[in-house]
Amino acid sequence: MRKPLLKIKNLSTGYFPKKRESRVLHQSLNMELAAGEMVCILGPNGTGKSTLLRTLLGFQRPLNGEVFYSGCSLKELSVKEMAMEISVVLTDRIDDSFLTVYEVAATGRYPYGSLSGRLGINDRKIISGAIQQVGIEHISRQLFSTLSDGEKQKTMIARAIAQDTPLIFLDEPAAFIDSPNKVIIMELLKKLAHEHHKGILLTTHDMEPALRFADKLWLLGTSGEFEEGPPETLVEQGSINRLFDTDVVVFNSTARRFEKREN
Amino acid sequence: MESKKNTVFWFLVFAALLVVLFLANLGYGSVLISWEEVWTALTNSSGTSETAQVIVQEYRLPQAVTALAVGMALGVAGLLLQTLFRNPLAGPSVLGISSGASLGVALVVLLGGVLHIPWPASLKFVNDLSMVLLAFAGSLVVLGAILFVSGRIGNIVSVLIIGIMIGYAVSAVVGMLQYFSRSTALHAYVIWGLGSFSNTSPRQAAFLFAAALLVVLFSLLFFRQLNALLLGDHYARSVGVNTRRTQLILLLVAGLLTALATAFTGPIAFVGLAVPHLARSFYRSSNHGVLLPAVILMGAVLTLFCNLIAKLPGYDTSLPINAVTSLIGAPIVVWVIVKRGRVKQE
Repeated sequence: MRKPLLKIKNLSTGYFPKKRESRVLHQSLNMELAAGEMVCILGPNGTGKSTLLRTLLGFQRPLNGEVFYSGCSLKELSVKEMAMEISVVLTDRIDDSFLTVYEVAATGRYPYGSLSGRLGINDRKIISGAIQQVGIEHISRQLFSTLSDGEKQKTMIARAIAQDTPLIFLDEPAAFIDSPNKVIIMELLKKLAHEHHKGILLTTHDMEPALRFADKLWLLGTSGEFEEGPPETLVEQGSINRLFDTDVVVFNSTARRFEKREN
Repeated sequence: MESKKNTVFWFLVFAALLVVLFLANLGYGSVLISWEEVWTALTNSSGTSETAQVIVQEYRLPQAVTALAVGMALGVAGLLLQTLFRNPLAGPSVLGISSGASLGVALVVLLGGVLHIPWPASLKFVNDLSMVLLAFAGSLVVLGAILFVSGRIGNIVSVLIIGIMIGYAVSAVVGMLQYFSRSTALHAYVIWGLGSFSNTSPRQAAFLFAAALLVVLFSLLFFRQLNALLLGDHYARSVGVNTRRTQLILLLVAGLLTALATAFTGPIAFVGLAVPHLARSFYRSSNHGVLLPAVILMGAVLTLFCNLIAKLPGYDTSLPINAVTSLIGAPIVVWVIVKRGRVKQE
């Protein structure tokens, strides 16, 4: 078996509030992500999907445990080295500015930059290729701030592709996007995993696309439960029901959707 | 590639303006001197009247050089702060960095009076290099306070608001010092506060120019980090920018530039705030590879222009430079914001 790009060992996520006991969201997580795999972190709102992603990125400290990228511990990786491992698409809002789509995508080449900061022919080729891959070449000279949400998201994905890292992490990439674009983006991510052998990790609260496109799901429950596996297996085992059903709604595993609970 | 042409065009326009305005600053003033005389005075050749030589070399040249240096320093400081705080209203004066520098100066000028410390009798204090150090120390105190808070909060917008509050507090301290100080000291401080490009000796002007140029050129090294920071801290970090360190260095650079300018010329309002906005709307770019050189040029153009107006060529007197920059700078900021709002609606 191939060496995993990402290995999570005994990880606990949560927060350290001052002068109080730390708040644990998830405990003793152990999972792996290999090249060519698309994994969805799936869970209801507020279960700590983004917290897990931020912890993996080193934006916040884990309560316990360790994260390894290609065998190196997250703690020992510098910001520069991390930039060579993972590119990201986040939910952070980008302020109005005069940056064009091309210029935003070009920031993905930062880790490879020379001191003078000039983009080489190779850089330009990679940026254009990334822009083409997500299908926004017709708007590449437009200002980023004038784009629709779907186009903005595609630009940020182009930027991640241009960074040319083995791993791409995406936080809620399909939120605020209309359904056709949602499918386009998920197809694109799947293609990046299967044809370009990237490791793709994304968070979503959207069950349907996750079940349809992911190779593997990491399910997070509201009270710290965790289950992982291919979507089929998890549905059959009833894991989705265990973690997602509430007093009001239940997951119908044949129709693959949530329905109001019949009394 | 139209944008590239546009960029080159405006660089040429502002470079030409810079040269014209610099020469106009040498040629015009309260005393009428012909262009030939200005030229001979500059080239130091014989056959020029001594008065013309003194006026051009000892007064007009240092004044023009000071204006130029202050313009580029404040322009760059403003741009750095607006990008770092991701806020279009950030600027050296807004963040209280100028007030910090003022406090440094006020402590010497005014406290000396209050506590009856016998400072050297001459209140032409601006001729003293220690004033630069004190202004720098004062602005560093404010910057340090801002950084200390930012280390605990991390949210850079709150830091901006705290910076503004620190600025108010510092102004209040200065106000108290003013209230208790003797009238001569107070007068000197008020005059300093009105700002002037004409209190610098040739040597000081040369020092100010060299120091400002050095720091400004240093800031150019960071244009890619600044571009990455436009996307936010997390994105910047994800492409390998050490955000904490970069923010710290660039805040210090902005503080140093503000302190340099303020110490020699008094707090100059609106230049740091207006120039980056002007640059963005002319170049239609947020790329710091374009914007940094642009604010250097346009900052110098604006201060040289303001200085020319403040001189009231042909009249015996001159206007306080701070009043002129405010009168010109404030409408510019309003214009840019209105225009921006309109673009967004379309």
